[in-house]
Amino acid sequence: MVRSALGPQSARLNKGPRAGADYIPAATVVAGSLLALLPIVSATGWWPDFGLLMLLGWRLLRADAWPAWWAAPLGFVNDVIVGNPIGMSVAMWAAIMIALDILDRRTMWRDYWIEWAIATVVIALSEIAHWRAAGLMGADVPFNISAGPAILVGVLTFPIAAFIATRLDRWRLGR
Amino acid sequence: MAASAGPRPGWSRRAQYGLFFSFLAVLAGLAVGLILLILSLVAPQSYSVVRGAALDATAPISGALREVTTTVTGLVGGAGNYWDAANQNAQLKRERAALMRRMVEARGILEENQQLRAALQLREHSRDAVAAGRVVGSSFESSRRFAIISVGSSEGVQIGMPVRAAEGLIGRVIDAGSIASRVLLVTDRANIVPARILRGGQPVISTGRGDGTIDVRPLEVGKNPFKRGDVIVTSGTGGLYPPLVPIAKVIRLDDDGAIAIPIADPSRVSFAIVEPPFEPTALAAAAEPASEGP
Repeated sequence: MVRSALGPQSARLNKGPRAGADYIPAATVVAGSLLALLPIVSATGWWPDFGLLMLLGWRLLRADAWPAWWAAPLGFVNDVIVGNPIGMSVAMWAAIMIALDILDRRTMWRDYWIEWAIATVVIALSEIAHWRAAGLMGADVPFNISAGPAILVGVLTFPIAAFIATRLDRWRLGR
Repeated sequence: MAASAGPRPGWSRRAQYGLFFSFLAVLAGLAVGLILLILSLVAPQSYSVVRGAALDATAPISGALREVTTTVTGLVGGAGNYWDAANQNAQLKRERAALMRRMVEARGILEENQQLRAALQLREHSRDAVAAGRVVGSSFESSRRFAIISVGSSEGVQIGMPVRAAEGLIGRVIDAGSIASRVLLVTDRANIVPARILRGGQPVISTGRGDGTIDVRPLEVGKNPFKRGDVIVTSGTGGLYPPLVPIAKVIRLDDDGAIAIPIADPSRVSFAIVEPPFEPTALAAAAEPASEGP
């Protein structure tokens, strides 16, 4: 300890979690939702749901990123910013937290591929729910031009969200 | 892999209660979310205040980002215009001469048209735009097709009003904040526009397909009346959209209809013009079809 303190690289000593470390995960989910404000005018809606991707990235990384019930207010913020039917992400994200808590008790071990598979299932269910809600509201679009590509894009971009969550987790904990 | 919080956080009673109440809270969140969702599916207009306020809070961000991107693309495009300027200049002069000839012809037609209209004593609706704004964003994460425009109820925009650009029809307003509004684009599945084919005037129905194209079907069953390149214009039926606004251009025929692409591309138009409903009484009726939006 003493020797390392005398050395040139003492940056790793005395480093605890950063100020506000408890709120950084939730803040990044809101930041993901805010990406919907980018001035992109697209003919199709195939971009991934960035808020959901960040939520999944954090929740699959650690179970205590935020108290589980925060998912509901985070979902409300997402709904309001993105313009979803209000309540869609509130219910969906709360359900995701419950489902992943149950899954945490059942799975014996986890690796990256299992997490990606879980994320695939969750993203697919979410997009299908959005697709059905749009159908109920009078916009019954065929699956293969709306939810299908959106699921594919979301699943393929999930690793980026997972990477961001991992790096931010190490940064916020000062590791 | 970080250890899960697990079913039991040790012997601490306080930590156990904390987990339990957190579980109850997330269940409550799920229940509240389901209730909110059902309400927004059954009675979408009940959230118009919340959605309007959210638009007011978020649209300025998109608007500022939009300014940045248009400035950057403008600089790039502006630099590109200097390249090969002499050729462009010659070409533009030729086009200008051609357009001049067309304009003289058109003026003649216009005067003849005015005389004929005067003879028929057609009542001309005076159409003043309510407001003009920029398209600042869209619903690129959702299968619904919405755009955000930078004018709202403070400029007189109301839910149900038609929105057009100089090129053609864009859609109609479904959420109005005080400084921004959300527009249901003509390419959205829920937007059904009474229309007709410009060539021949046969009535058709235009429905969005959700992927940037429009499905057009004739009202009367029979031979497929469309040809590639046909221009579809609004018919004015229903009184919401003004007549003779271009909607789309047919690109492909199918069994009994055709697929068309919108003439006014929301990502390219410089200004979106909000107009009053063609027949003012249609606004009250439009509140009902508009309610299928969220």
